[in-house]
Amino acid sequence: MTTMTSIHTAPAARPASTRIWNAARLQFTNARQAIGLPWLILTIIFLANLAIWLILYASTSGQDRADVSEGLQYSGATSYIFVYMLVVAIQAISRTFPYALGLSVTRRDFYLGTSVAFVLFSFIYGGGLTLLSYIEEWTGGWGVGGRMFTAVYYGSGPVWQRMFVFVALFLFFFFVGMASATLYVRWRAAGLLTLGGVFLAIIVAFVGLATWTKSWGQVGEWFATSGPVGVVAWTLVPTVLAGAAGYFILRRATPKN
Amino acid sequence: MTSVIDARGVTKSFGSVTAVNDVSFTVEENRIYGLLGRNGAGKTTLMQLLTGQDFATSGSIEVFGASPVENAAVLQQLCFIKESQRYPDNFTPRHVFATAPWFFSEWDAEFAERLVGDFRLPVNRPIKKLSRGQLSAVGVIVGLASRAPLTFFDEPYLGLDAVARQIFYDRLLEDYGEHPRTVILSTHLIDEVSELLEHVLVIDDGRVIIDQDADELRESATTVSGVKSTVDEFVRGREILHRTGIGGLTSVTVSGLTASERRAAAGQSLELSPVSLQQLIVRRTGSTEKEFEQSA
Repeated sequence: MTTMTSIHTAPAARPASTRIWNAARLQFTNARQAIGLPWLILTIIFLANLAIWLILYASTSGQDRADVSEGLQYSGATSYIFVYMLVVAIQAISRTFPYALGLSVTRRDFYLGTSVAFVLFSFIYGGGLTLLSYIEEWTGGWGVGGRMFTAVYYGSGPVWQRMFVFVALFLFFFFVGMASATLYVRWRAAGLLTLGGVFLAIIVAFVGLATWTKSWGQVGEWFATSGPVGVVAWTLVPTVLAGAAGYFILRRATPKN
Repeated sequence: MTSVIDARGVTKSFGSVTAVNDVSFTVEENRIYGLLGRNGAGKTTLMQLLTGQDFATSGSIEVFGASPVENAAVLQQLCFIKESQRYPDNFTPRHVFATAPWFFSEWDAEFAERLVGDFRLPVNRPIKKLSRGQLSAVGVIVGLASRAPLTFFDEPYLGLDAVARQIFYDRLLEDYGEHPRTVILSTHLIDEVSELLEHVLVIDDGRVIIDQDADELRESATTVSGVKSTVDEFVRGREILHRTGIGGLTSVTVSGLTASERRAAAGQSLELSPVSLQQLIVRRTGSTEKEFEQSA
């Protein structure tokens, strides 16, 4: 560089809070897709379940009817919405990340902003499901003994417990989805295969250990005594680990075509 | 002279492939640069390094006086429009033009609206249903309306027809006149943009082989035509870039001639003609013109 040349330096960056919030807003931009569609599909699933409950209700009576309602506590009808959020998280990285970088957003601001958005989503959906679980109780299972939002995995404790279980589950699916997608963006299929291999090894080791030490009884007991809140509380560990891992993996990732 | 980019010994390797090889150059403020080169020459990789989207293997890159990597202050001055840009699922152009202003403080919404009309872009159609040319128009509109102090266009016009490309060039020049900024345009349609370019960077096989003012570059070579023996006599001892001939006539492209040499040539009834930027670059990169045009 010669002495004649001067350097044009950039003015200060916008405040971090503004930058992160702008990145978060990218997840809310297409609200119909992010918020409307999942509830719509959930409504359709609910209506299909309601039809089945009606048929069961009409064709049973007395003790049988109570047994049916008892059995419905194992409903997995709401599991779809968690898987949907896993997909939302994956798309946030595979589609929105290259877009955000194209708009000159830093990886850090993108990741933190997206995390903020997902925490908000978790509370919005968690709150919605909590409300629905109470409506389900107050209406005696929508008038026909049906159960979808008070399934056994969510518990039927006080409001903070229900809220905690739903929110924590959403957080788990969001951050695990996001972390696995960062692996793909950074290392392509090799990253995902490695992760899959590691998980498989851990599961096999666990199953082997439990079988070898004849401790399946204790494992079942642990789930029973911990209850939904206790078990879900443990998911916060992988959620936090995934959140941190995703951040560091994405910091050095480049979107490829 | 005020520089906005200072690259020193920049190298980027992918395994055994060296996409950018020990590249050094500076970019001055408020000029239009052409980053030219064949397919796979390293243009896109270089731009990804300059915009902090990829990480250099070695060397230093300073944009607005600092590394662009994860640097919010630097990046908010940049806009990088690339042909392969991806958009969030189910976004429409309307969503793009609504979100872009959050990140570009100089965004001109009125200008964006006008460009939407110019390109006849259906703004409420999902991006994945747009034609290739309409998709390119989305990028071009963001690149122009963002008015970023440093704007990169990487082959921005794929699928745009000649009329739409002309609109792009016209609007770019108009707006550049009113709002001076630094523009780096990567392209293989060299002749089409040659009037636009003020400075030319040619990259070949990962190295910058030409870094020159566009006018100087145009004057750096001349084609001498005439009777073969006279031409041969005239060009003896000169650097010959290209030679063609039919029968007793021949055309030879040589490096720059001085004014007196030009007069001498005219005296020997030799015809002198300027060389287009494209021909010049094709010859300097040792490829055929056809090869160059096919590369995108």
